[in-house]
Amino acid sequence: MRLTFIVVILQLVHALVSAQEIGSYLGDEAFMYAETKQINQFFRRFNSEEDLEGKRLFEGNADYRSPEFRSNYIKMLFDRENGSITEDTKEDFISEMTNNSDPSFLDYYGGRWFAEVDAKFTYQGQSRTVVLFLELEKENLGIKWVINNVYFYPFTKMFYTDSTALAKFLHPMSHELDFMNLIKVFNEPETAEYYFDEDFKPDFKTLFLYEVKQGDLVFETIEKVSFHFFQLEDWYFQLKEFNRPGYNTGWLISNISKIAEDQKGMLLKYIYYEN
Amino acid sequence: MNKSNIVFSIILLFAVCMTAFAQPEISPERKQAIDSLALEKVKDLGKYISIIGNKDTPFSEANRVIDRALELFAEGSQMGVSSLHRQDIKYYGIREYFQRLMALNYDRVRIEWFNIQYISDLVRQPDGRYVGVITVYQRFTGESDDGLKYVDTTKKDITVYVERKQTQIQGRIIGFWDVLLGDIRVTETKPE
Repeated sequence: MRLTFIVVILQLVHALVSAQEIGSYLGDEAFMYAETKQINQFFRRFNSEEDLEGKRLFEGNADYRSPEFRSNYIKMLFDRENGSITEDTKEDFISEMTNNSDPSFLDYYGGRWFAEVDAKFTYQGQSRTVVLFLELEKENLGIKWVINNVYFYPFTKMFYTDSTALAKFLHPMSHELDFMNLIKVFNEPETAEYYFDEDFKPDFKTLFLYEVKQGDLVFETIEKVSFHFFQLEDWYFQLKEFNRPGYNTGWLISNISKIAEDQKGMLLKYIYYEN
Repeated sequence: MNKSNIVFSIILLFAVCMTAFAQPEISPERKQAIDSLALEKVKDLGKYISIIGNKDTPFSEANRVIDRALELFAEGSQMGVSSLHRQDIKYYGIREYFQRLMALNYDRVRIEWFNIQYISDLVRQPDGRYVGVITVYQRFTGESDDGLKYVDTTKKDITVYVERKQTQIQGRIIGFWDVLLGDIRVTETKPE
């Protein structure tokens, strides 16, 4: 183990020295080597499936999924400027992930990870943020990102916001009057949802698509992107991209929690703004 | 043509059609060869960008190079650009991006590439093609005669589409891997 650690350090030094040698070509590229440049690289580093220069390692290579390499790699994958991620949490996480008898790896195809995208749209003459949640879905022999959830603040203000709604129902003899009292429902559209069945839940995806197709929501740009990982047993973490000087940059763990599997549903609801 | 020949011909035709649509799995060795091919295209793009951005390149030559550069791309590809001052992504068609580069109001422009590239895995799309991303870094320097100088370093994440195709050479059907570039995300980075 000690020997492996020394090898890792030597390789790190070698990579930095190499980077400096190459750096004479244009500038210091060491920070570019250190940066976790793609989500793909985050996966590979987390699993120790690439070497220090970013070249893919395959099964059979001595360093492929090496626990010692992984320990060092994963340490580099935290946002070090985030004081709320304690050293104890990091160590606990790394030790569980690299446990010799039952290590955990990230699997791009394994599900239970998704993207959160803040996108700017024009809505009623104003720039508004729509939060789109995307996940990977298999199709044929391939795979693609699909939008599986939408949050748009103005939609939430359309439903169930009337605190005096207790009296809003169609009385049980309405049928004898040919439901003539429906006029009251639709004369007050802001509370019409109270006359729907108890299982009714506004479907923001459909509303969103309707507004887009009507031309009332017009795409402008992407504001920010992050990723949520629920894939690792009893852990949740979030990835964000850090564009700043230094070596601790690129896609890094910005938030991490040890969380029991049966609690993950609640966290998911919170992320989806469903609480 | 007897019955068995007809059946054989149908099977052969079916097999040829299937080969045309089926995209085989990519072995690690094959992936390396495809990576090299994709990197060549990215390097070509780098050369073209440098020529287009160079103020000494005559207008007609720059336009010719733009046409060559566009041949590297899949139809409808876009550049999505953000800066340190504006995180929002601004979208340009590839031709528009090149034309803006050509028209930049500097007396001298220098475009240099860092000697680093990162190549992702290739992932199969629903249509059978493979897609990957190559990340490269570029330094741009623009100088005016009045002494103004603008320098930025950008990270370019370049989409790469890989497709198995076939061509006929002297009656023989030869398979080859074709690489096309796609959307490019350009992010200004904060250097050390």
